[in-house]
Amino acid sequence: MAKEKSSTKPESPAESSGHGGGGKSGGEVNVFDHLELLSAMGRDFASSLDIEASLKRAIEHITNYVNAEGGALFMLDDEGETLRCHASVGPVEIIGLTLEADQGIVGRCVQSNASEFIRDVSKDKAFHGGVDEETGFTTRSILCAPMSVKDERIGAIELINKRGGDGLFADSDLHLLEAMSASAAMAIINARMAEALVEQERLARELELAAEIQRSLLPEPGGEDYPVVGVNHPARTVSGDFYDFFPLDDGRICFNLGDVSGKGMNAALLMAKTASLYRCLGKTVRTPGRLMARVNTEICETATRGMFVTLAGGIYDPKTGIIRLANAGHEPPLFHRPDGEFQDFPAEAPPVGITPILADGDEFPEIELHLDGGTLYIFTDGVTEGYLEDGSELEVEGFKTLIRDNAAQDTATRLDAVISLIKRGDTALRDDLTLLAIDDAKGHAARQAGESPEPVSVDIEAAAVEEELLLSLTVPSRADRLKTIRNAVTEAAKLCGLGKDPAHDVVLAVDEACQNIIRHAYGGSPNGKIKLKICRTEGELIILLRDFAETIDVSKVKPRELDDVKPGGLGTHFIREVMDETYFLDPPVDGGNLLRMIKRL
Amino acid sequence: MNHEIKEDGGAVIVALEGDVDLQSSPDARKVLLECVGRKMPVLVDLSGVGYIDSSGVASLVESLQSARKTGSNLILVAVSEGARRVLELARLDKVFTICDTVEDGIAQVRP
Repeated sequence: MAKEKSSTKPESPAESSGHGGGGKSGGEVNVFDHLELLSAMGRDFASSLDIEASLKRAIEHITNYVNAEGGALFMLDDEGETLRCHASVGPVEIIGLTLEADQGIVGRCVQSNASEFIRDVSKDKAFHGGVDEETGFTTRSILCAPMSVKDERIGAIELINKRGGDGLFADSDLHLLEAMSASAAMAIINARMAEALVEQERLARELELAAEIQRSLLPEPGGEDYPVVGVNHPARTVSGDFYDFFPLDDGRICFNLGDVSGKGMNAALLMAKTASLYRCLGKTVRTPGRLMARVNTEICETATRGMFVTLAGGIYDPKTGIIRLANAGHEPPLFHRPDGEFQDFPAEAPPVGITPILADGDEFPEIELHLDGGTLYIFTDGVTEGYLEDGSELEVEGFKTLIRDNAAQDTATRLDAVISLIKRGDTALRDDLTLLAIDDAKGHAARQAGESPEPVSVDIEAAAVEEELLLSLTVPSRADRLKTIRNAVTEAAKLCGLGKDPAHDVVLAVDEACQNIIRHAYGGSPNGKIKLKICRTEGELIILLRDFAETIDVSKVKPRELDDVKPGGLGTHFIREVMDETYFLDPPVDGGNLLRMIKRL
Repeated sequence: MNHEIKEDGGAVIVALEGDVDLQSSPDARKVLLECVGRKMPVLVDLSGVGYIDSSGVASLVESLQSARKTGSNLILVAVSEGARRVLELARLDKVFTICDTVEDGIAQVRP
């Protein structure tokens, strides 16, 4: 760049006497030239995308300009322990050379943050002669200026051996070097800050993407009359809290709310994992205690040490208003009873992710709660420990008051009332805010109004009065009677004109369903009764299976008895695979279970 | 359910016959595990099995796992249509090695 400059100003004395000679003769022009050189380098620094290349060019220019034999730029490393040469010109290439932070003239210059003007290095003990010894080069004089911005030391630039004349550097050389060092220091700091800024922006963008994925893990609102409502406001971009709810195919709703220890990205990742596991397993594991145990096992197997999740989860049945709830170390959920009182449910098990061994065997303890039109609230401590406008915490009592005061509002409005008290405008949140409410008011009203299906009649014949009866059969709950049932079903399937394979499939499904009754409903007892009825309507084969055992929690079926044969969920899988529809009807009024299976013809 | 066990070509051949259901699968399981215990490859002949349910399939799976644990093998031969249908429903038709005939099975397990 200095060359370009001189070629556009042919009358400059610097041109006639070479760059090196220009420094000492020529008054105003000399000053003008210094400024030209400095401003050219300043422009180069400012526009450069490659700071190292600019520094190298700067060293070349100043070495030429001052007419020195060599020049070098040293920078301190991040720890400030070593000086490393980043650019050098002259007969000896020393890029990469490292010195202790206080070694040599350059080290002393950096440490004292003051320029060095050494006319004869042989008289200075600090001189590091290592390079001279290795290369045979002889260093006579050194000019060295520190690079620093305010108190931040960056390094130093040194020039070696003035050419021509008396071989001594002039004061003006030092002034020029100092000016250039200052400008180089500025450029380096700017480059570092720009780099940090770019990195920061990249991280912020990634965080925003992570937050977007996290938001997508939260469920869509269920609509106006939906009994479960949740809200989540992260304190930072990403959240360690989560809530979820999703319907099961029997009309019940599985829900949960959790709080991962810690905040920030690691908490967010564990949150994503826990929420995904819960949702995935929750579709097949139908009791919260067992579901939580499964999630716990998974998290324990792979979780990072020291991280855990407090988790409350359950299943709500709008048809009965009953919630089964399990609490793993979470803030006690609050039940706002229909009589206006509150009841809490403290955790009876440790948080998820702490120990795979549970006190109560292989399940988390569950409680059963009859909502009877009341509402269950689950929340994280970000809510109860949230700061109010006067600096105090909301606390559980404050929460109760708010809920009571807004009891006449709908569920979402009640939750908003709580949130708006803690999240005021742009005030930074102390912790993530997450709230979930399961409101039984509508379910209760519907039950009162008799909108839910009438209890099924005792006589299963009556349940299928419009249908053509193909078969009706009652057998004892004994494994050796299954063949009788299979033969009967085979005949009924034939009557419907089913082909060999579909007929076999239907027989298999009925057989497996009967096995479930024998194993689970009657617990293997041969003294129960199984009533089978097969009907046909237009286009459908309908199978009704009735037992008279205690009403079973379908989700609690544990296929693990009878002489150690362990089909796991295989039988149920067969039934689902073969039948187009399978569901338990509401328990008959005189007890027992009634299963309806449909095969389309 | 009946069964018949013989040894041929360095393998145990166990033929199950009749329905393998909730009632008979405990017996089937015992028979199969006893065969696996002989430390020879096991061929389970299912040509005579008209019906097999989930508990029967579970017995087969358990025996296969047990055989593999001891470095041995258990394969199914001459699988009846009904049994094959159930194995397919259970997605186990790809888990088990299935040969059309006892002879093919012996050739399959011969070291």
